[in-house]
Amino acid sequence: MRRLRALAAGALALAARAAAADPLPETGFGIPRDASLDGHHVDDLIHFTLLAIAVIFAVALAMLIWSFARDRARPAWYTHGNARTVGAVVGAIAVIAVGVDGTLLVRTLLDLHERLWNFQGAEAQPGAIRIEVNAHQWAWTARYPSADGKFGTPDDVVTLDDIRVPVGVPVVVQLASTDVIHSLYLPNFRVKQDAVPGMINRLTFQAVKPGEYEIGCAQHCGPNHYKMRGVLTVLPPDEYRAWLDTMRADARRGYDPDDADAHWGWEWRRD
Amino acid sequence: MEEGLTVSVPAQLAAAEASQPIHPPPTSFWRKYVFSIDHKVIAVQFLWAGLVFLLVGGTLAMLIRWQWAFPGRPVPVLGGLLLGKSGGVIGPAAYQQIFTMHGLIMIFFAVTPVLIGTFGNFLIPLQIGARDMAFPKLNMYSFWTFLISQLLVIASFFTDLGTGGAGWTTYAPLSTNVGTPGTGQTLVVLAIFVTGASSTMGAINYVTTVIRLRAPGMTWMRLPLTMWGLWLTAILNALFIPVLGSAAMLLLLDRSFGTQFFVAGASAVRGGGDPILYQHLFWIFGHPEVYIMILPAWGILGDVFSFFSRKPHHWYRGSVGAMIAVTVLSALVYGHHMFVTGMSPLLGEGFMVFTLLISIPSMIVVVNWVMTILGGRIRFHTPMLFAIGTMILFGIGGLTGLFLGDISMDLYLHDTLFVVGHFHFTMAAGSFVGAMTGLYFWFPKIFGKRLDERLGKIHFWVTFLGLLLVFLGQMTAGYEGQQRRLFDPYQYTFIQRLHGLNLATSIAAFLLFAGQMVFVWNFFRTVFGKGKAAGPNPWEVTTLEWTDAPSPPPFHNFDRIPYVLRGPHEFGNPEVLKRTGRDWVGQTEALPGGDMAGDPALSSGKA
Repeated sequence: MRRLRALAAGALALAARAAAADPLPETGFGIPRDASLDGHHVDDLIHFTLLAIAVIFAVALAMLIWSFARDRARPAWYTHGNARTVGAVVGAIAVIAVGVDGTLLVRTLLDLHERLWNFQGAEAQPGAIRIEVNAHQWAWTARYPSADGKFGTPDDVVTLDDIRVPVGVPVVVQLASTDVIHSLYLPNFRVKQDAVPGMINRLTFQAVKPGEYEIGCAQHCGPNHYKMRGVLTVLPPDEYRAWLDTMRADARRGYDPDDADAHWGWEWRRD
Repeated sequence: MEEGLTVSVPAQLAAAEASQPIHPPPTSFWRKYVFSIDHKVIAVQFLWAGLVFLLVGGTLAMLIRWQWAFPGRPVPVLGGLLLGKSGGVIGPAAYQQIFTMHGLIMIFFAVTPVLIGTFGNFLIPLQIGARDMAFPKLNMYSFWTFLISQLLVIASFFTDLGTGGAGWTTYAPLSTNVGTPGTGQTLVVLAIFVTGASSTMGAINYVTTVIRLRAPGMTWMRLPLTMWGLWLTAILNALFIPVLGSAAMLLLLDRSFGTQFFVAGASAVRGGGDPILYQHLFWIFGHPEVYIMILPAWGILGDVFSFFSRKPHHWYRGSVGAMIAVTVLSALVYGHHMFVTGMSPLLGEGFMVFTLLISIPSMIVVVNWVMTILGGRIRFHTPMLFAIGTMILFGIGGLTGLFLGDISMDLYLHDTLFVVGHFHFTMAAGSFVGAMTGLYFWFPKIFGKRLDERLGKIHFWVTFLGLLLVFLGQMTAGYEGQQRRLFDPYQYTFIQRLHGLNLATSIAAFLLFAGQMVFVWNFFRTVFGKGKAAGPNPWEVTTLEWTDAPSPPPFHNFDRIPYVLRGPHEFGNPEVLKRTGRDWVGQTEALPGGDMAGDPALSSGKA
């Protein structure tokens, strides 16, 4: 039975490999192309901060350069700091603190509560996809629930380094590890979450463009950390359903109740 | 300053002399140069120990850069020497050891001994007007304990499976036997524990010395900023190094005695431990450590900017207050290293608020530097160049911290090369170049000779431009998505386009490393050859080690304990110029014509 399952899995993996094109390489300079619904919030914040620090840096540098170029025959200004200069320092810093730090704080709190860490909100949306990912040295194993939405059933679909999601609906990933700490990183979706042994962590994103994207490991997890690469395939909804149906039928055929190692799924975390 | 009102100056000086009598200098070779209790000798011992490991840590960095520039190709020269079994090619296991030990060596065994061991030991007694540390023998034990930790690091390289490979943070469970078996990793964790013990001894000594042995008249608000930096660092060390010690100890128990403080919780390795506990312990130490390594440099920069701009430091009290605020807040922000570990959102947001808050005192310190330089008569000697370079590089590092202290952006940038570039701007550029500033500045006092200015300036430009290019290259690669610590980044399709950038960054790094040989040459030539005699005060500055002691100072530092009259930054005062013809007046120097009761900077406070 086990051999049969392995054979089936092997054939399927081959078929999957043939079907899935490799992720397109990034071109040009800049942040990787954004394939997510919410990624632009992160990008906007990054570029706002970049602009703000460029202005701060330029002003400070201008003051320095003016001082460097000053005629050295003239005596230095003599002051330990007076009300006017200290006021200027405090004022400038207050402007930065309110304008930059304040903006970051407000926008980030909104991002987190409405989008990036809003797992309940994502799951409440119709059609939301739930996936359990088990990270281990050095691969990502993903588990899809059966048709009734339960994990740990005979028709759970399990894949290796190959996660497929439909376009246009929220995806909620629950993440665990069975050896050391890994970190699930989707550069094109601007999200990242550690996989920690003994914990179930969560991550959510929504794809807006079909295509193949890379899954990276961001946390050093041993000598082959660099090889812990997977592919995330974003499919149109009908193709996704067709793929899942095929996989479920296959999983049911290959199910082995005695194979304890294959039953690593967990009760979906809700809180 | 309160004492000055009640006890007369001669009585204060007599009390200080009685509590710190002059001891005869040691005569035997062993007591003089090896098992010395003289803070100045111990400082030089730390300097040598640190510089040797700086070279080792730098060499390891070059290997990392080689791998990213030319993956899979044998390393020239060093490859055959260090990686003979693989024909000079770096393999994945060797690679993880290289970046792990680069980080650990640089932080614990190179920059810390130079910045804190050398300057703390050398300067604290001299700048506060004391004859030695409060606990000279403890000081000696601190150095020898440190040396043991360095020997443990060296030994780890010669074990069966090689040295540690779990990253400098040695996150569990990767750092336990589950992820990194072998004696090498155990020895490395032991070395962290032992060096922690050394730092704790030093910290207790520094804290006590500054509190107890300040010369009469040396009030807190007359301390050079270098003293504030070193003193606050020592407080942080005393409080938080023991936390690191406990983490290292528990990890050692997990590795060697089968406990499961950090191992368990996984379905593959069942049990009750918690890997996240390790991260909390590590970062409760680890974030203050960032300030431990930067506060002395902040202090040095504050003084050097004032000294070489020939201007008083701007808003001294503001800078001191800001440094104290940073010290207090430093332990409250550590969680920003753990935003993606799955911590409670509320906790994460709290840490984000504190992280944004700590940027305010940091800005006060930096803006005060700019204000100090503004309108100065700047003398572009090597120490000033290095100080300016440190400020610019540290400025970039500080400002880019905003990206990472913010959770939204950290979710994308965490564990990418952006983080690596950022902390190198603060720790490598800020702390290492900050230490270089101090080394060029105090070299004449430590060795009694002048370094060559021309070589120093060449060294500055190579170092400044090299670091700028290397770390900007890293940050750009991180912004474009490249994760840190990848043996072969080009396995990822989206990183393949960054090969050209990484190659250019590597070339800049090789030039940077080669440029450090200018310093090695300048340093060796002057220490062991004939350098120009420095004289007591070559920079014409105000602090006690320059005004009241020859270069190098004698065993007992001061023939008579000095009496301090004013703060450390009295430059460009028109009244001083009128009376002495100079633009500076020392902290202990009585002005001809008596006290200036109307001028707080020139009155001794007893008028």
